[in-house]
Amino acid sequence: MSGNDLAISNIPIQPWGELYNEEEALNIGTIFHDLNKPFFAAEAAMGSKSSIASEAEDQAKPLAQAEREELITRINQIGFYLDDLTLYLDTHDKDAQAIQLYHEKSKEFAELRKQFAQQYYPLSRLCIPDCMNDNEAAFCWQEGPMPWEGACV
Amino acid sequence: MWIYEKRLQYPVKITKNCPKTAKLIISQYGGPDGELSASMRYLSQRYTMPVKEVGGLLTDIGTEELAHMELICAMVFQLTNNLSVEQAKEAGFDAYYIDHTTALWPQAASSLPFTATEFQSKGDAIADLTEDLAAEQKARTVYDNLLRMIPDPEVQEPLKFLRAREIVHFQRFGEALEKTKDKLDSKNFYYFNPEFDKGMFQGKL
Repeated sequence: MSGNDLAISNIPIQPWGELYNEEEALNIGTIFHDLNKPFFAAEAAMGSKSSIASEAEDQAKPLAQAEREELITRINQIGFYLDDLTLYLDTHDKDAQAIQLYHEKSKEFAELRKQFAQQYYPLSRLCIPDCMNDNEAAFCWQEGPMPWEGACV
Repeated sequence: MWIYEKRLQYPVKITKNCPKTAKLIISQYGGPDGELSASMRYLSQRYTMPVKEVGGLLTDIGTEELAHMELICAMVFQLTNNLSVEQAKEAGFDAYYIDHTTALWPQAASSLPFTATEFQSKGDAIADLTEDLAAEQKARTVYDNLLRMIPDPEVQEPLKFLRAREIVHFQRFGEALEKTKDKLDSKNFYYFNPEFDKGMFQGKL
């Protein structure tokens, strides 16, 4: 219940509404149409391609790198979708539509992270079992670039 | 317990050095309304929250703020990586360089060091959640100010993302406050402190 009480903040509870797709949501910063409230001074740059989109169009990349980047981009998009959905569910724990969507996306997320670990390197220590094999010469946890280096993968 | 995930929440790829921009953005690392401050605020407040789901929300948002801190640090790192001494001098980055070379250190744009005096953990759910609402608004204003000053799209895109998150978090803290109010008497929300006067609070459940 959202009140209209004196001498305290009153914020209406967000109703379930229209959602962005995974790519749009990460570009915008929320999955919810109702919470997308951009700032005018940042609109000038809106016409330009987002860093995510322009990266996919970079043609000089070898195929293997392009494939890795496509996979990590999917992981980032679905990961963020789940981040935003989690906060919604923290305050709407009985919302059946949100719960259903969370289950779908989290299964897909787990699959993609497993695939990434098997093909490249583990994104978290929980992914290490997916990339262990008997003839491993070096422990896999330090493989891959550091996330702040700017190389996508 | 926390588990590290080896990726940024939003991709950062900045191809040009710009120590001047780094000097501004670093405020969202160690400044008064920065991500470190936000994270420590929420993760400190959660232990004594009287409504369990609100403690859960503070954990999740406090964790996301850590990811935002990493994002800001990645931006500062990429803006100052391969910096020359000449560039540092021209951009007014020389004072920072003397103290930290090009390492990351939490400070405000004004060079004030990070301090816990920038946030509160008051032990009163209404006071703390009202602070959290204000904190999200102040952080949004910083992102507005940064977006006005920095035209480079490689820097703008992650800043726009981070600004959008402040608005979402504001909404969630508002809902958390409503959840807390639901368990109190609307005739007088201030009759007792729900975090300290536990017996009186539980009598209402």
